[in-house]
Amino acid sequence: MTATSLNPKPPLRVRIRVNRLVLYTVLVVVTGLFLGPFGWLVLTGLKAPDELAAAPVHWLPDTFQWHNFADAYQLIDFLGYARNSLIIASIYAVLVTLSSAWVGFGFARLDAPGKKTLFGILLGSMMLPQMITLLPTYLIFAKLGMVDTYWPWVLWGLSSAPYLVFLFRQFFAGLPRELEEAAIVDGCGYAQIFWRIFLPQSWPVLSASFVIAFTWTWGDYIAPQLLLSTDKTTLSVAVMTTYISSAGTPIANLQAAASVMYVIPILLIFLVAQRGFVAGMSTSGLK
Amino acid sequence: MHPRAGASLSRRRFLALSTAGATVGAAALSGCALEVSTGVGGGSGETVTMMVKADDITPELVQQAQKDTGITIERVDYDITKLIAMLTAGNPPDLVRGVGATDGAYFAARDVMQDLDPYFAKSDVLRLDDLDPVNDLWRYDGRSQGKGPRYGMAKDFSQDSMFWYNTTVFDDRDVPYPAETEPITFEEWIDNAKRLVRRSQGQTLVFGGSYSGLTRTTLLATMTASAGGSLFNDDFSKVDFTTPEARKALAWYIDYCKLKVGPSLIQPDPNGWDGPTFQAGRMAMSNSGYWLGGMINTDPKLAKVARLAPAPVFAGGARISACQGGTGLWMPRKAKNKDAAWRIFEWYFGEAPAKSRASGGWGIPTLKSLRELMPAQEDYQRRALQVQENELKHFSVVAFTPYATADAIDALFSRAAPAAMNGQMSVDTLAKNLNTVINDQLKRGKEQVG
Repeated sequence: MTATSLNPKPPLRVRIRVNRLVLYTVLVVVTGLFLGPFGWLVLTGLKAPDELAAAPVHWLPDTFQWHNFADAYQLIDFLGYARNSLIIASIYAVLVTLSSAWVGFGFARLDAPGKKTLFGILLGSMMLPQMITLLPTYLIFAKLGMVDTYWPWVLWGLSSAPYLVFLFRQFFAGLPRELEEAAIVDGCGYAQIFWRIFLPQSWPVLSASFVIAFTWTWGDYIAPQLLLSTDKTTLSVAVMTTYISSAGTPIANLQAAASVMYVIPILLIFLVAQRGFVAGMSTSGLK
Repeated sequence: MHPRAGASLSRRRFLALSTAGATVGAAALSGCALEVSTGVGGGSGETVTMMVKADDITPELVQQAQKDTGITIERVDYDITKLIAMLTAGNPPDLVRGVGATDGAYFAARDVMQDLDPYFAKSDVLRLDDLDPVNDLWRYDGRSQGKGPRYGMAKDFSQDSMFWYNTTVFDDRDVPYPAETEPITFEEWIDNAKRLVRRSQGQTLVFGGSYSGLTRTTLLATMTASAGGSLFNDDFSKVDFTTPEARKALAWYIDYCKLKVGPSLIQPDPNGWDGPTFQAGRMAMSNSGYWLGGMINTDPKLAKVARLAPAPVFAGGARISACQGGTGLWMPRKAKNKDAAWRIFEWYFGEAPAKSRASGGWGIPTLKSLRELMPAQEDYQRRALQVQENELKHFSVVAFTPYATADAIDALFSRAAPAAMNGQMSVDTLAKNLNTVINDQLKRGKEQVG
């Protein structure tokens, strides 16, 4: 008798169930790992100050301090800082999405000498850490009188972003050549082809690009901290720097509560745009 | 697979979004962004830009300044990168927060600070004979800290090698209290910490003690001075951890970390600082100076069991009790609105804000005339004050190098020291390694200063 006949394989249905069970277990564990820090942040935001230093650790608050959220909201001009963040993130996300689509279209559909080299340089610039360009950037904006204004985000938006250019380039390169040829036969120039044919088809990438750019700017700490004064700065800077007692010590539970409120808009945007975001990443070949 | 062709609705939606974004953007730009900040005074003569932290100047103080002096304060969040950028661009703030012990010499050597001697000479509010010696941390003569022109002033201070202890934890472990007039030795401190630490299933329930100074560099420089030596050479261009005194200090600190009696790089306190842990009764001794009394005074339960003790000494060593901070303000040389900035300087250090700080207990006032305002209503406040007053006799300035920031040296220390703290490297090897990396940094700093 063979080993196979001694240990017959379980039926297919059972094997599928076992596989699913394993898969879901792994997914639940991974989800838990990712949600863990956020859950801890929420719990910290609901604790009284003395519970933060308790040992053994208080996993759950003795009494849920829901008022921490109201206190965190009232302690600073939360809405004002959120409005500043929204303005900057919206300006940048809209402009950079458009400009990156335009540049990506050029790299995907137009031919010119040195195109590959230029594209390589563009991608290479992604490896430049922000810190390196920080001081020169400040000096340029200071000379132009743009410090403490939102103009830098307009200029950055109009300049496109290498990663997003890459995203659009990959997407546009995959569209059939016939579309472009038919448009040319109909008398379209490349600007019209981009605007009337390619852009309308690229909503998944547009959506992905907008979400990426928006979250990027919403979460940016360094640029607003460097370029904006305390009144005009963004929520990310305010949450980091203003939850301090009169003695200069951090108010950790209020800061945690504020951080939870700070990430809610991003979560909502992602939930609304997630289908487009996933489709955009998939169709651009970057999954 | 490609998306559907001809999705005109998406385009409209996109265009609508774009228009909305552009509208919001245009409104925002016309409303806020186009009013380019005058930032550094802009010639109005009535606005002073202060780069400080939120707690240094609260919105209430900004209003009070307007009322008391007629000058508007525009606050910019303190950020070292932003400060460097503003200094480089030639538009610095009018007043900047700084730590006297470490920033004073650093910025003075780079010639970006305003010599304030002429202002002090004319001032009726900040009289030279009224200045506490701690303000000498803000003096630099081009070679050494503590002498020469004044470039700034401390808002309050503590002798940061002192420590607070919790009598309840001492009682629980039957450990005698440290004396309040005579210092214990570092060796005794660590013995106490070993007896006081309480652990359970790998968790530290109660730290025996915390002793890490304001920065590791200032801590080790001060401890080396206590051992009778100097961490820096004569022109502050080099450190030497291999001298007997510096090695003694380093060995003590590495031993403290290795024993895991208190927070350190290899056993961090999740709270990030001693306050909440000490308040929760989870720390027997906290290496914090008088300033921690500001927090202790607000908690009557804690105040009854918290006591202040003198800075430890090495057996047979000198009694040295330095200030490792001396946080205050300085004025950049290129500040555009110096007279108004000086008026705010006087107000901040000598008038209402200074009096309020003095009575709050968050540090010793830096004007001798304000000492009478230090809190002494309660028994525990009088007790701490007595210990502090006795300790002031042993105050001295431990000079710091102008060629690197304390943060930069701390970063190098944090990279090199954990191996020794974990017992994988000897103290002698660590001392040599620290000499190499820190001296390299100091050499680069000296080249920059010229």
